[in-house]
Amino acid sequence: MSLSPHTTPSGFLLPSIHAAPPFFTLQPKAETQALVTEQWTRLILSYARHRRLFYLRVEDAEPPGSDWDEVLRNDRINRRLPPSHLSYILDDMVSKNKAMYEPVKQTRSVLLFWRLPEEWAEVLHDWASSTAQLNTILTFFEIVEPPVPSQLSGIPDTLLRRAISILTKTNRAQVIAVSDGEGVRFLAGNVSK
Amino acid sequence: MHRLGGVGLAAFERQKQHERSFAELSTEISQGQVDVLHAQLAQFRSALAHYASTHRDSIRNDPQFRHAFQRMCTSIGVDPLAGPRKGGWWAEMLNLGDWQYELGVQIVDVCVSTRERNGGLIEMSELVRLVSKLRGVGGGVITEDDVVRSIKTLKPLGAGYEVIDVDGGKKMVRSIPKELDADQAVVLAIAQEEGGRVSEDLLVRRRGWTRERARAELENMLLRDGMCWLDEQDEEWGVAYWVPSAMRWDE
Repeated sequence: MSLSPHTTPSGFLLPSIHAAPPFFTLQPKAETQALVTEQWTRLILSYARHRRLFYLRVEDAEPPGSDWDEVLRNDRINRRLPPSHLSYILDDMVSKNKAMYEPVKQTRSVLLFWRLPEEWAEVLHDWASSTAQLNTILTFFEIVEPPVPSQLSGIPDTLLRRAISILTKTNRAQVIAVSDGEGVRFLAGNVSK
Repeated sequence: MHRLGGVGLAAFERQKQHERSFAELSTEISQGQVDVLHAQLAQFRSALAHYASTHRDSIRNDPQFRHAFQRMCTSIGVDPLAGPRKGGWWAEMLNLGDWQYELGVQIVDVCVSTRERNGGLIEMSELVRLVSKLRGVGGGVITEDDVVRSIKTLKPLGAGYEVIDVDGGKKMVRSIPKELDADQAVVLAIAQEEGGRVSEDLLVRRRGWTRERARAELENMLLRDGMCWLDEQDEEWGVAYWVPSAMRWDE
């Protein structure tokens, strides 16, 4: 038998390791599992980026029908990632800053960092300046649901706030109270920081 | 009565003289022989060099020709890689030494980069395939023979690269210095036949092992050596063990 890459209906290219039956089992030897976890982490993040998925829950590994079926299951070899294994992987991802638990104080659901908050901050600032919205006050809603879809469309509130707070620290954004909640003003900032 | 050599002190002197002459003659003859030998060797060398340089492209590009050439060298007691200079005493005219070293480096590259998933054990044909891929050449250009030879050149590095034979005429290359015991060799042979998958039952059924022996060996390979991976969702056996080095990876 040959382990080959496979393209899913959504157009995602699964690596050949995804066709290896033992890839779905939590490995008892730590060194082996470290390799498995690393491969899963990479796979999860690239799939999330491909489909713009921000959340992954342990429950996604349970019944068929979740957004994650293409990755968490492989029906061609009749294997699926058990929830306990997924939980282990999520824990490792959080410890390596590839994700954060969201909401906090639980370990069943994570917000994925297929871009780090620092990278989102740059995307956000670039977007504001390229759409000539520096120095204007924008509501969070206007960023998350812009009239022209952007890379930031649908970004979770938590991630947006982390990105803004990173920009605030370098004086490239200011959070301002507006009548119906909060707004933000992006500033050109000191390029040399 | 007159003796040829005469008697007395004069005869003794003459005797000495003779001995000296003979010794001189002997050295002269030996020297002559050595000279002839040198001349022959030089002639042989130049003939071999001429042969090598005229057939250089064939040697480098045609695996069959290369093999035949290597065999010829071995049978006449010439090692093309041995010699005072780096890469052998004619490496520069043939560039074969460099070729062999280059291959060695690529073998190390493949072995090291696949080590995590196969526990430092790779099947020969898989190694040949990956090395060929790394070199960007098609199948058949690099042969098992070339790989075996290159691994020999790696020996002085003490990295412990070794070619081992497993059951069924298959060869594997081990890149971590670790003894492979007889039971492990059996497990590997079964894994080869099964595309990487082994189970307790397969060992019990095919090799007549006791269940305890099968389990102990598989557990060892799984937990101690990291040579196989566990699969808890096997449809047939429930639990199966997979030897990545016996699996065929396309990527």
